[in-house]
Amino acid sequence: MSGMKETAISEKPMDTGQPLLEIKNLKMHFPIQKGVFRRITDYVRAVDGASLAVKRGETFGLVGESGCGKTTLGRCIMRVYRPTAGQILYHEDGRTVDLCALNNEELKPYRRKIRMIFQDPHGSLNPRMTVLDIVGDALRVHGIASGTELEDRVSDLLRRVGLRSEYLRRYPHALSGGERQRIGIARALVLEPALVVCDEPVSALDVSVQAQTLNLLQDLQAEFGLTYLFVAHDLSVVEHLSDRTAVMYVGKLVEFADTKALYVNPRHPYTEALLSAVPIADPRMRERGGRIRLEGDVADPAHPPTGCYFHPRCRYARQRCLEEEPILRDLGGDHGVACHFSEEIELRGAVMVNG
Amino acid sequence: MNTQGPLLEVQDLQTHFSTDEGVVKAVDGVDFTIRQGETFCLVGESGCGKSVTAFSILQIVQDPGRIVRGSIHLRQDDGQTLDLAAMDPKGRALRRIRGRDIAMIFQEPMTSLSPVHTVGDQISETLRLHAPIDKLQAREQTMAILTRVGIPRPERHFHAYPFQLSGGMRQRVMIAMALICRPSLLIADEPTTALDVTMQAVILDLIKELQGEMGMSVMLITHNLGVVAEVADTVAVMYLGRIVESADVYSLFREPKHPYTTALLRSIPVIGLTKQERLATIRGMVPHPFNRPHGCTFHPRCDHFMPGVCNRSLPPITHLEGGRTVRCFLYGGADTREREER
Repeated sequence: MSGMKETAISEKPMDTGQPLLEIKNLKMHFPIQKGVFRRITDYVRAVDGASLAVKRGETFGLVGESGCGKTTLGRCIMRVYRPTAGQILYHEDGRTVDLCALNNEELKPYRRKIRMIFQDPHGSLNPRMTVLDIVGDALRVHGIASGTELEDRVSDLLRRVGLRSEYLRRYPHALSGGERQRIGIARALVLEPALVVCDEPVSALDVSVQAQTLNLLQDLQAEFGLTYLFVAHDLSVVEHLSDRTAVMYVGKLVEFADTKALYVNPRHPYTEALLSAVPIADPRMRERGGRIRLEGDVADPAHPPTGCYFHPRCRYARQRCLEEEPILRDLGGDHGVACHFSEEIELRGAVMVNG
Repeated sequence: MNTQGPLLEVQDLQTHFSTDEGVVKAVDGVDFTIRQGETFCLVGESGCGKSVTAFSILQIVQDPGRIVRGSIHLRQDDGQTLDLAAMDPKGRALRRIRGRDIAMIFQEPMTSLSPVHTVGDQISETLRLHAPIDKLQAREQTMAILTRVGIPRPERHFHAYPFQLSGGMRQRVMIAMALICRPSLLIADEPTTALDVTMQAVILDLIKELQGEMGMSVMLITHNLGVVAEVADTVAVMYLGRIVESADVYSLFREPKHPYTTALLRSIPVIGLTKQERLATIRGMVPHPFNRPHGCTFHPRCDHFMPGVCNRSLPPITHLEGGRTVRCFLYGGADTREREER
């Protein structure tokens, strides 16, 4: 890949001051409408009281199974939706803005600061627009550049994501999946954002292209000082990329910690079960045993169970878990967990291949 | 692994698609053997021809795909072998094989189940097509298999439509339908790709258990090397329509021979192993099927590319110890005299 150099190893400028983004008790409930009069009968609680903080310059991984609300959370941050309740605090130059409270006009400057990379590189690019239009459109909309300047900026950026400037006049159908995802990345970066929400950016890609894309994301982060919120279901990819990781289950955060701590020493039974289910690409690990089988399905976010949402599938569940909802509490050392019995139960982390 | 004789032998299989723009050689000379009771994994990236290989076995390749060469020998219970490649895709004989001797489960259960028939009807229809039994017996056996694959309250779910079930439950229904006639070979095409990681583990365990109970062979098609490492006995790696390497799973992961296999194994992040380092990548991308490189199709991306050798002719299959095969000039087959001349 021409534009990619083997130089930038991720040495991130870690500014451990104020977080860049803070989410406080965010709720996104979608109404279920029935009948002729579209009467609202119930709500799908896609995100149901999530709180997290993303530090400047870090990669914050968000994992969970399908339907757990991780994508909805990402979209709330983009303000694709207007959240039902809660706050999304964006900190910048000592000022704090609650993105939930802003209307569309007021949001416009923040749409430059927070950008998104989508999962499906086929569906997220307009087939009738050239690469130049796709990437340059945002520059035009925000009145930043036009004409030759716009073209120069776009072709410069294309080079940084590893595409030659011939690509400017091409249409998405002429590109491979990996190239399209590079266009998606260029489009996210063209406005020089501070935060990039990456929603499953490599899930649709093949193994060999996935590795190229992950390396590119790391290089760009080092080069532009980006902060990533990395939403994915693949635990090995998240471990590879993230500094800190949070686990979501049915609209709530159940655990967050430094990535290594979370993987080696999980404190929530759901995290333990997720880690034990990841297949390991080494047949010698087959006999490690102890895979936790989760019974039943993920809870229905329209009718979640009482108490802890995970209790019907949890092998450590006790009476208290049925009755009382656990809150996300800090166990010390920036390790948070939403489980009543974290201190009492002993959980197994991921098997470390290198001992 | 109970290693008995071969159940399925595929030799020089070629499946081509003739389109207006040219011929796509989706499968271009594939040889492999699946033994009785083993799990055979076919692994590769999208577009490498692994699914078309599986479809070719049952002759359900979509138009304009045709098997143009090769043989697919299936050994039946009575010891006789049949060449599936020579049979009429629409004929009665092949229809008797499908679903009875060889069954298949697909990646996306929602699109492969009928949306307008109940789960129970779909499964018992398969059974009644192949076995001379009445409705009541079929219903009983369907109920039994639904229970076995872990569908709760089968008497209720018998009357459920696929859309009323979750993804994991649908895949269980697919497995039940595939196994109702106790096939000798189960072909599973990316059976867990659409599922979450916890459900994936459950479904893979279920297939493994049922395989043990019924003594069938499983041909698993996947792109996920983690899944391969967990379940395979034998592995074949495909690249652009050809098998570039095959070996038993332990040897393949311990000591991959083909540069493509090596690169593939290095490029995946493994939990606890690759943190914060850069991933090894394979440069470039899979070429378009219309303009396949000459010689070894992997040579433009290969770290061991030997000019004048790899881009001149197709490397032959080299047999190594332990029943391994590899298609690469590094392990012989190169015309050395010609090299010296250059």
